[in-house]
Amino acid sequence: MDTTSIVIADDDPDIRDLVAFKLEQAGYDVTAVDNGVSALEAIQRRPPDIAVLDVMMPGMSGIDVCRELRGEPATATLPIILLTARAQEGDIETGFGAGADDYVVKPFSPRELVSRVQAVLARTRA
Amino acid sequence: MTAAAVATGALLVLIAATTVLGGVLIFGRFIRRAREARRTRLAAPARRLLLAVTAGDDDPVLADSLVELDAENWRAVEPTAVGLLGKLRGEAHAALVEILVRRGVADRAVRDLRHRRPVRRAAAAEVLGHVGRRETAPAIAALLTDADSDVRAVAARALGRIGDPVSAVPLLRSLSGRRSVPPQPVAQALMRLGSAAQPALETALYQADELVRATAIEVLGLVGAISATGLVEYTLRADPSVEVRVRAAGALGRLGTRSALAPLLSAVEPVRPAALRAAATRALGDIGSVAATSALAVLLGDPQHAVAHNAAYALLRLGRAGRTVLNEALGAAEQTRRQTGEQTGEQTGDSRAEAARVRAAGYAREALAVAELQEHRRAPAVPVLRPAANAVGTAADGAAVSPTNGAAAAAGEQTSDIAGPDTARHDTAGPDTVGHDTVGHDTVGHDTAGHDTARHDAAGHDTARHDTAGSAVGG
Repeated sequence: MDTTSIVIADDDPDIRDLVAFKLEQAGYDVTAVDNGVSALEAIQRRPPDIAVLDVMMPGMSGIDVCRELRGEPATATLPIILLTARAQEGDIETGFGAGADDYVVKPFSPRELVSRVQAVLARTRA
Repeated sequence: MTAAAVATGALLVLIAATTVLGGVLIFGRFIRRAREARRTRLAAPARRLLLAVTAGDDDPVLADSLVELDAENWRAVEPTAVGLLGKLRGEAHAALVEILVRRGVADRAVRDLRHRRPVRRAAAAEVLGHVGRRETAPAIAALLTDADSDVRAVAARALGRIGDPVSAVPLLRSLSGRRSVPPQPVAQALMRLGSAAQPALETALYQADELVRATAIEVLGLVGAISATGLVEYTLRADPSVEVRVRAAGALGRLGTRSALAPLLSAVEPVRPAALRAAATRALGDIGSVAATSALAVLLGDPQHAVAHNAAYALLRLGRAGRTVLNEALGAAEQTRRQTGEQTGEQTGDSRAEAARVRAAGYAREALAVAELQEHRRAPAVPVLRPAANAVGTAADGAAVSPTNGAAAAAGEQTSDIAGPDTARHDTAGPDTVGHDTVGHDTVGHDTAGHDTARHDAAGHDTARHDTAGSAVGG
């Protein structure tokens, strides 16, 4: 059986490693990168089953990556979860407006994040 | 000795000094990198252990191993543990707190609250705020009058996280005096204390300091203190400060009770200060009572920009009844224009009423146009999966015209966020407000450039990337 693959992008090494650790522990095949450009390259090179993107990253934000992915036919329907400290209504609206499927606000619970990943995957595969 | 020889000597000395300095710098950098590499190497196994415990591995042996690490290995991993504290919640946060307590980090933080270096004091307050032990609140409250302003702000946020209602009084007191705390972290901390802080907030409305009253009433509105509605209404009518009354109007809008309608309608009367009228007009929209429709219809043609502008958006929020008024305002202006055209050179009725109709039509047109853009923007954003072209179009629209920083901001909206980014946006009075802001818009947190300014307020909020303690949430 193929393992579900995930790309994680976060410039905070602690959060990136923790999320990667937790998702690997949950049985996912994780590719972790530290910026938006690398995330875009990794996703375009080998589209994963889902992407978890930090919003505020240097150079290219998670929102920008999300928009780029939605503009490409190959990744237009890729499930995307945004992970961010920006919790205002306007920020969340912008995230969903960019095409995100879910929006997780920091401080976050790693266990809840895994549940959200599972839920988004289940919803998009249905 | 010739001048040339002196110059040559000086040049040689300069070259030698530069070479030595460069060597020292390069050597220093090398040493730093070597130390960093050693720390990373040392931290790697312990970090893996920390991630396992934080990720929810319930094996008690792992936690014990982390607690029993030797001093050097723990020093290497401690920054990661402390850094993660503010970024996690739930079981992961609880696991981290337990390790830090067992490791003695919390006790050390209590001692560091009196450290001579401000950075250590702030870091200690930050850690204790995340650990959340109520018995540490009094010691942290003592930092609200610290000589360093960043330490004071961090202490306020820490008290909010701990959530002991007893902290409400020192927090409110910290707004006054030479060593005061900015209202934004104080208001956020008070909000975290929740309803238990309400008695202290109500008492604060009788304080002499205007900023204390303004902050208290704003927080009462933000926490939804319905039982304080009568007191807020009284403050709207009777407080000597226009700024406090403006906050009271906003609070009534947030509380949204029916009884607020009469005092708000009184507050929009033409004899009231412009800032108060604008805030009360907006609050009428927040309440959402159609009983305010006729009053807002009149305010739509008000000569004061902020009042008319807020009236237009308040009408939008009333739904169908409000939209009908806005469309009628457009129709009335069109009719006036046609009549003026037919009776060239003649005055058609009362010129002031005509001017009001034209103004009202302008504000109505703007509000309806913005509403249409917002609806256009929101409509396709709901589906989880959609065609790429549609998604890109939506995103582009969102970037070009945002309800918070697009056309509305261009029209002169202002935001008033004592409590900062964690609270809902609350536009008060438009450009006129600034002139009437007796509390001072810098300290109260008025934001003339829209919500982005408030979000990056250096006074600090929970999501700021850089603060004194260096452990705030990023991303």
